[in-house]
Amino acid sequence: MRRTPSFLAVAIALLLPVAASAQSRIITGTVTIAATGQPLPDAMISLVGGATETRTGADGQFRIAAPAGPVTVLARAIGYKRLAKPLAAGANRVDFALEKDLLLLENVVVTGQATTVEQRSATTAVAHVSGDELSRVAAPTIENALVGKVSGVNLQSNSGAPGGGIQMQIRGNNTILGSFDPLYVIDGVIYSNATIASGRGDVSDAAFATAEDDAVNRVADINPADIESIEILKGAAASSIYGSKAANGVVIITTKRGRAGETNVHLTQRLGQFRPSRTLESRHWTEAEAVAKYGAGVAHWFDNNPNPYFNHFDQIFTPGNLSFETLGDVSGGTDKTRYFLGVTNKHDGGIERNTGFDRQGLRLNLDQDLSEKVTAHVNSVFNRSTNDRGWNNNCNNFACHGYAFAYTPSFVDYSAKDANGNYLTPDWGIQANPMQTTDLAKNHEETDRFTGGLTLNWDAMTSGRQSLRFVVGGGLDVFQQANDIWSPNELFTERTQTLPGTSVENQGNSRYYNWNANAIHNYTGRGFSLGTSGGLQYEDRQLHTSRIETENLVPGQRNVGQGTNTTGVENLTQERTVALYGQEEIRLLSEMLLVQAGLRAERSSVNGDVAKYNVFPKISASYRILGLLGEGSEIKPRIAYGETGNLPTFGQKFTLLNTPQLGGSSGFTVAGASGFAGVEPERVKEIEVGLDGIAMNSRVTWELTGFRRNTTNLLLQRVPAPSTGFSSQVFNGGKIQNQGIEASLGVTPVQRRNLNWVWRTTYTRYTSEVLDLAGLPPFRPPLSGFGGLGVTFIEVGKPLTQLIGHAFDANGDPTGNQQIGNTAPDYRIGMVHDVNYKNFALNMVLDYQHGGDIINLTQFLYDDSGLSADYGSAAWEYRMKGYNNGVMTPYIEDASFLKLRELSLSMQVPDHYLRGGLLGAKSLRLSVAGRNLLTWQRYSGLDPEVGNLGNAAIRNNLDVAAYPPSRSIFFEISAGF
Amino acid sequence: MTMNRKHPMARAGRRRVSMRAALGALVLVASCNNFDVQNLNSPTAETLTNGATRDVLARTAIGVQIQALNDRGGIIQQWGIYGREGWNLLGNDPRETGEEISGPQDAGGRAGGIWTGQYSAIRTINTFQAAVENAAGLSDAEKKAALGFSKTMEAWHLQIVALRSGPVGMPVDVDRPISDDPAPLVSFAEGMAAASALMDEAYADLQAGGSSFPFSFVPGYEGFTTPATFAKFNRALAAKILVHRATFVNCATCWAEAKTAIGESFITTADLPASLKLGVYFGYTGAPGELSNPVTESMTSNRYWVHPSIITGAQLQPDGKPDQRLLDKVALAPAPRTLNDLTGSYKPVMYNDPATLAPDPGADIPWITNEELLLLRAEIRWNTNDKAGAISDINLVRVNAGGLAPTTLTVASPDSAFITELLYNRLYSLMWTQGTRWIDARRYNRLNTLPIDRPGDVVHPNMLIPASECDARGLTDPCSVSGG
Repeated sequence: MRRTPSFLAVAIALLLPVAASAQSRIITGTVTIAATGQPLPDAMISLVGGATETRTGADGQFRIAAPAGPVTVLARAIGYKRLAKPLAAGANRVDFALEKDLLLLENVVVTGQATTVEQRSATTAVAHVSGDELSRVAAPTIENALVGKVSGVNLQSNSGAPGGGIQMQIRGNNTILGSFDPLYVIDGVIYSNATIASGRGDVSDAAFATAEDDAVNRVADINPADIESIEILKGAAASSIYGSKAANGVVIITTKRGRAGETNVHLTQRLGQFRPSRTLESRHWTEAEAVAKYGAGVAHWFDNNPNPYFNHFDQIFTPGNLSFETLGDVSGGTDKTRYFLGVTNKHDGGIERNTGFDRQGLRLNLDQDLSEKVTAHVNSVFNRSTNDRGWNNNCNNFACHGYAFAYTPSFVDYSAKDANGNYLTPDWGIQANPMQTTDLAKNHEETDRFTGGLTLNWDAMTSGRQSLRFVVGGGLDVFQQANDIWSPNELFTERTQTLPGTSVENQGNSRYYNWNANAIHNYTGRGFSLGTSGGLQYEDRQLHTSRIETENLVPGQRNVGQGTNTTGVENLTQERTVALYGQEEIRLLSEMLLVQAGLRAERSSVNGDVAKYNVFPKISASYRILGLLGEGSEIKPRIAYGETGNLPTFGQKFTLLNTPQLGGSSGFTVAGASGFAGVEPERVKEIEVGLDGIAMNSRVTWELTGFRRNTTNLLLQRVPAPSTGFSSQVFNGGKIQNQGIEASLGVTPVQRRNLNWVWRTTYTRYTSEVLDLAGLPPFRPPLSGFGGLGVTFIEVGKPLTQLIGHAFDANGDPTGNQQIGNTAPDYRIGMVHDVNYKNFALNMVLDYQHGGDIINLTQFLYDDSGLSADYGSAAWEYRMKGYNNGVMTPYIEDASFLKLRELSLSMQVPDHYLRGGLLGAKSLRLSVAGRNLLTWQRYSGLDPEVGNLGNAAIRNNLDVAAYPPSRSIFFEISAGF
Repeated sequence: MTMNRKHPMARAGRRRVSMRAALGALVLVASCNNFDVQNLNSPTAETLTNGATRDVLARTAIGVQIQALNDRGGIIQQWGIYGREGWNLLGNDPRETGEEISGPQDAGGRAGGIWTGQYSAIRTINTFQAAVENAAGLSDAEKKAALGFSKTMEAWHLQIVALRSGPVGMPVDVDRPISDDPAPLVSFAEGMAAASALMDEAYADLQAGGSSFPFSFVPGYEGFTTPATFAKFNRALAAKILVHRATFVNCATCWAEAKTAIGESFITTADLPASLKLGVYFGYTGAPGELSNPVTESMTSNRYWVHPSIITGAQLQPDGKPDQRLLDKVALAPAPRTLNDLTGSYKPVMYNDPATLAPDPGADIPWITNEELLLLRAEIRWNTNDKAGAISDINLVRVNAGGLAPTTLTVASPDSAFITELLYNRLYSLMWTQGTRWIDARRYNRLNTLPIDRPGDVVHPNMLIPASECDARGLTDPCSVSGG
């Protein structure tokens, strides 16, 4: 391999300290919270223009060395507005009272593996969400908690199933065949968001088998209550520091840590329930109609009631059992040792009978000062998630409920039993009774996960003008997912099979580990400063999945050893990356101009040439203009260019051998898909411009960003000349473009002593276009949908997310294939209101999606069976004309919605009620909080936020009898000790 | 600050050295990790190209044998439909009673078939041959034996492609990296000549191939599994290719070469009629995960039907029964089937259980047998001044296979009468195995003698180069050796 690039040597050379200026006095003081006067521990104290920093102790006091002469002392703390105070030459004491940072002006944003910059100087748009915002309303997963709160990010649930299954898309679709997931990094540890199909499709005869399993993506294992903050690196310039895993953005999660001071104990208990928020109706029947369609055998359903009508949703999807969440944490420490211990135990009762989601977790974060200059940060968390996902989505054998409902006439009562207490043998055309399925079938998932890391921070040298820091860190993320799926013999859906009774054991084992070493040097001159950093990273990712399926089970047995036809599959992928980076941060013009530039060079085992270093550059700049809109105001234009990559998927470089068998001998033959020995990462090149500002005494802030990103060198598949012996080959080529604007606006309309109202709005709009396919004819990508029922289609000049199918022409005749829709929304707006009045707080999150097309294949199923609620109406006739002519336009609907994502009202019990020693609590808060309480939608189906094919590079908005949506309400009591 | 301010540079210098060492060590640690992560889920082509072991080569030889079965069902069906050996009247694909009988041909569809399967087999063969040449674990004789085997197979695949394409041509020099331009198209004559040349190379290799192959064989090769006996199979195929060349593409020396080749094949007149079946077969097992005979099916299936002209055209045995070959190979279906004005009454049953007529997924399909060799020798002899020998060979088949009286041909009969007699026997001996009626009609310019069942129906003279092949070459489809 190549040896260390010379820039490392340069970086090291730059670390040479120069003579430090003399320190001549010690400044002391206290930092307090302005509203209460309480001391504020862990606040950062520094001298403007100097490199020295210190933190306040538990009593809020600090000591900092300063040179002779007048200085300006700056106090900062997370969650509070910064305050700078000048100090005359002779003065040695200064006190600070910091105000709460309601609009989050004081965030720092990540600029490198071990470097950050204050948001007010940031050169790129970075979404930031605090843990407090994430945990106001109980959320199954962090994605639920994020929705509506950040710009540039599109979050969409694949179904209403409990416990996750949500796709996060940052700045559009950037790939066709490559990885489409953002990169998750938790406390420096690369965290897997793998989606491992459960194998339910093996049982339910789904067309795309495992893609329709309604699987959970594994960030569901993260406990939102553990989180201190989430940062989302959206643009290529920001995410370039993660190289070729960052094309889809990076989600950086920081968990809570202890602070020096007295021990804090928090306990939160939530109790609540999930309730169905929407159901579908079905056609009403007279006995004559029923007998005409289903035969005389169904006449008995009319024996006791001439107009029987059962809403099957109401029979299977009922208010869930009691949901609860218990959260506890203990934190504190001394100046040298700080700890945070968090425990969680939660249960979400699903609205489908016998479904639900549970998560238990134990987190221990520890910070230990090993010496005055060396600090160790340890993070560890164990989580266990269990999930009963139920039976939904596309099941061609009617094992899935919505699919069965579409073929069950409404006069059928699923709960009806015969004299022996058995469910009635279906006499309504399909061999399935969802009530029996929910009673007997299992679709269970368990995941045990450990994530842990260690970071060592060595402040090697600090002088008045410069500092040198080394950061070495690493971590491990391992999980084991096990799915147990059982479709027992006695199910009606199994009795009709040739080999009744199916059991599936599915395993997913993931192991990620990474480590990095960094050196950071800062130099502060007169009116300028330089930050130089460089380092090395190593990443290793392995995913091992296996599945055993057996059919023809012994009655009553679910062990895969108890069937006769057993098959197994196993898949192992591994990827290793090593990367070197260097970056420079320059502040000029009294530190108002910030220029950042960096390079990351990396090699990966999945590239064709494993020795080749791919280089990803970035350069960005911002300039702060002070006072233009009045005193204290700031305007910051910024511009950034960056490149990131998207690694080839495992195996794209290999030509495989098939192993056919004949006469008991197995042979090797060269497979039809040729590997591409030269396969390279896709490359995103993005330019981003922005104009941010703070005005009106910091009561108005905004961030406005425009971006254009081109993904080039796409991973594509072509058909080579068949005389080569190959039928397909992956290659690099082509270009797709995403461009858009993002805006966020924060306003504090009311800021009084007893009343605060903070209103934050985000706006996201982007469009995609296929610019070049390297000569390929237009094609259907993998998982594009069901042929003839509206599919995604990759075509030059069209959005990546277009849907094609037949339409009606002006004469009402079917056309050929043409664009009939676009699944991407036109724009999304999120709106957050936080109102605090005395001890009361009201929080609300609204999420609006405008546009986007959804295909209602659930309706298609009802039309196929003749069970549509509007059977015989004009609307029905219009749809049937499409149904009969293969025209899908009648099934394409507007996916616009407005959802009240979060609403919570809480009351802080006044201190004087606690003096009686209410269980010794120092603070007590009561609240009631709801999620997805209200939805306004144009869509006639259950929920326009749906994706039958799960997380996918392109396709979503495909509704095939998904798990229905629900709303949840929790009552919460939270106490501090 | 605790830094020793007297010697900052010295301290920093030492630190720099140690940091350099530390970072260097980190890089070293990173680079020590193996980045050459292999595919852990299935064997890759590198298994073959990077020093294949004896066992890997043996398995690849099995793979080559299995891929010889590629397209067999397609050949029997599609060439059979083109040549009116039969129909597919299932009705689930309009092309079987449309494009294939009445045209026009679609290079993106059926007319572009029987191509990818052949070239994918050739890709495996070429990969195998490169691996054999580099293999450390094989003796020279074993290498020769392996190469003789694989070149025989490659030549035969090339010949299949040549026969399907005829005048539109084909690529031959396909053993090149996928990143290279596709192999140039060559003419029918050049394609067939390349197949012949490769057969001869293979024969020479087999003769130097020692006493055994370094691999085993799948079912179908019984009696031909040593280099010496496999060489007789090679010569049989070589003779057939030479006869095709002699009749198709004007090859002056081919008849004489064919005469030599067939003499070195396994042709025999001993032990007739039993020895008619002697030969090599496409072996099927129908076992789970293995290949099943692609033609055999239940008597009530609507798929395959024998063309009525074969029923009505059969000569009679002395006792008045039709040609025994017809009786052995077809049976009246429980009910006739009409689709798109085509009516089938008889089903092919040569791959069904002879007693029960139940489908037999393990039934083998003849590849080349003594029965075909006798007819090939008759054809060779007629064209090499041994017309009496030719008539004698024809009669061996007529009498032993068909139960018919000897032919009325004499050495004085015109060529056309001989050809008619030859093609009659080839049809009844070889029907539903290799599209012989279509190939033979093409060889002797007799396409216009094939029955036309519906007004407007046509007999296609050849298949087309697949559209994807033309696309990859930047040629307008349908393309051919003479252009796009």
